[in-house]
Amino acid sequence: MDQPLKILIIDDDEHVRATLYDFLSDKKYDVTSASDGLDGLKFLESNKQGFDLVITDLVMPQISGIGLISIIKKKFPDTPVIAITGWGEYPEAFAIESQADKVLSKPFELSELDKVIKELISSKKNNM
Amino acid sequence: MAIPLIGTSESIERIRELIDHVADTGLPVIITGESGVGKEVVAQNLYDKSPRKDKPFIKVNCAALPDGLLESELFGFERGAFTGADRNKRGKFELAHHGVIFLDEIGDMSLSLQSKILHVLQSGEFSPLGSEKEIRSDAWVIAATNQELEQKVEKKLFREDLYYRLNIIKIYIPPLRNRPEDIPLLLDYYIEKYSFQFDKKQIPKLEPDHMEKLIAYSWPGNVRELQNVIKSSIVMGNWEEIINDFYFKSRSDAVTSSEESARVGASIVDVFLNFKGDYSSDQALFSLKKLTKKATDRVEKEVISYVLGKTGWNRTNASKILKISYKTLLYKINDLKIKPHEE
Repeated sequence: MDQPLKILIIDDDEHVRATLYDFLSDKKYDVTSASDGLDGLKFLESNKQGFDLVITDLVMPQISGIGLISIIKKKFPDTPVIAITGWGEYPEAFAIESQADKVLSKPFELSELDKVIKELISSKKNNM
Repeated sequence: MAIPLIGTSESIERIRELIDHVADTGLPVIITGESGVGKEVVAQNLYDKSPRKDKPFIKVNCAALPDGLLESELFGFERGAFTGADRNKRGKFELAHHGVIFLDEIGDMSLSLQSKILHVLQSGEFSPLGSEKEIRSDAWVIAATNQELEQKVEKKLFREDLYYRLNIIKIYIPPLRNRPEDIPLLLDYYIEKYSFQFDKKQIPKLEPDHMEKLIAYSWPGNVRELQNVIKSSIVMGNWEEIINDFYFKSRSDAVTSSEESARVGASIVDVFLNFKGDYSSDQALFSLKKLTKKATDRVEKEVISYVLGKTGWNRTNASKILKISYKTLLYKINDLKIKPHEE
């Protein structure tokens, strides 16, 4: 059997983090979660096999999602990133300017997230 | 080499870690915190750990100059741009090319200059006054402020788009009173440093009793105040005079800060959890349960103290008035540390 795909969730909102964690664990992904950008980066750097996908909030203390995505795209260019953002939290244009592969606005359906994850991972495989 | 970032508190350790992770990114940074906490030290440390460390580090104090002058400082001008411009002058953005431009007190910048800074951040280009050509600048923008930019954005005194541009990496340095464990280390460091500077003049001995008072003091002027205190003690040749001043100073500070919070209508959350406005970094300390407990404790303490005062500390009477059992009252007096003089 294949190794489960590894997903890193970064969000400072505990509720969002827990919801995503439970949902994705049920979907048989190997899920890691971090409560801010710095811890997220540390996971990325210390994990030898790397992550198959990262889901990050945009508004976070210290390292914002925009900053985090820019660092990920430089250091781990093959890792697809989904950005999630609350309505009105960020100027929309700015969220789009982030280098995320996909931006989802809260609230979104978990099924939609699942669909986006599958699309990004399969296109990543096709590109390899 | 920059002054090292001194401290073992969790927040300082975290800032050190953050610096290590972002110093090579060149992403815009905003450093916040009260006056004197060491925002420039953090900026210098970012620069020192970055690949730009051999390039210029250009500091601009945005509060120190009138608008027009600040603009010509930042962007430079061409000869003939205005009366008196008898030569070309290169701006700080040009001088900081490939290096760092440290915009201190950015919260004081005018809206019109803010939009020019935004333009540089977006395009990496700017034009000197009186010039039509655009000059490229790859300066790493590190900004600092002791103001609450979020509030300034709400009041339309700070451009929201610039705020988001700068807020890519945010480093908040808590005031010294929130990290007393750093005080002894800072004292050691600066005593050593100044004794060297002051021709190794004998520094008066710091007794344990002094240290205790220095740690307990609120340090409204933060590290800068601590530096001044050490310098004064060297000049005066003793610690007592300065430390005795603290007691009076702390009392007057306490009065002003409580008046201030009443005036600005600080939220109950700020008061009870001692938040400093940066909820994001204080978040770990927060829970509804904690807040409720603190609020209840404070109200109970006040009410019980008041009733005890009125009854001349007759606990039987007080428990009847409060409609709690005598045993509960005794427990509360002990638990809430209620003392007779607090009525």
